[in-house]
Amino acid sequence: MSVSKLDSVEDFNNFIRSPALGVVHFSAEWAEQCKQVTDVLEELLKLPEIQSSKTQCAVCDAEALSEVSLQYKVDSVPTVILFKNGTQVDRIDGADAAQISSKIKAQSLNKSPAEITPQKLEDRLKALINKHNIMVFMKGNKETPRCGFSRTLIQILNGTGVQFGTFDILTDEEVRQGLKEYSDWPTYPQLYVKGELIGGLDIIKELQANGELEATLNP
Amino acid sequence: MNMVYTEKYLKEKLTQELDAVHVEVTDESDGCGAKFSVLIVSDKFKGKPLLARHRLVNTLLQEELKTIHAFTQKTLTVDQWKTQ
Repeated sequence: MSVSKLDSVEDFNNFIRSPALGVVHFSAEWAEQCKQVTDVLEELLKLPEIQSSKTQCAVCDAEALSEVSLQYKVDSVPTVILFKNGTQVDRIDGADAAQISSKIKAQSLNKSPAEITPQKLEDRLKALINKHNIMVFMKGNKETPRCGFSRTLIQILNGTGVQFGTFDILTDEEVRQGLKEYSDWPTYPQLYVKGELIGGLDIIKELQANGELEATLNP
Repeated sequence: MNMVYTEKYLKEKLTQELDAVHVEVTDESDGCGAKFSVLIVSDKFKGKPLLARHRLVNTLLQEELKTIHAFTQKTLTVDQWKTQ
């Protein structure tokens, strides 16, 4: 079971008609946050309790299906709307992963959202940190850093030729604040290697000056 | 309350709390108290790896770092500083 695509108004209407929960993600190609929402939906679909509830998830282009967007007052992306029997039962405006998870679980299992324990932020952080051997939590991303320190860190890493992943903390307030506590580190960018915090730009620069950087990136 | 921190304030605090032999604080935001770079020389850093040293400073400046937007630190022991 994976996230399906709705290409027409007809697809949409057929999809939401189901008595089981139908989740529609109104998205746009150009919006970074929509990729994150699609990831969240794919992860949810893997959960056994969601699979047994016959919940389905679909994504549609908000601009392509503009009549539908208008009808359901979708004025920004990402927006996630939950349907049962052709009627809207709940919605989340914006990329609030915690709310998206808990509302979908609640509606799938017919429980009130308060009864569902939200996916622990800690689990989410752990998953993000271990996404790649080398992970940089920064402002902006590899192609477009959005702060001087983040930019410099990317330049240094590019210089070493190692493979690394990045996460834009500007797109997710929950991760932005939560990671500071989890790492016990107050600033960004933050570099993790194999799930362990190495530090910020200062430390990377010192390691580079000491000749220890390569070794640290390849433990 | 929105505190604006001065070079003097940070220098005094760091010197005192870390028994620092030498401290340099530069406000890189032209007096706005938003961006600082510091150099701290103290033997309290002896035997501590970089991450631990920076964590020590971060903990001392926990309150201040809530409002300071950008912060760069260099942490040396007395011996390291002498060989600079």
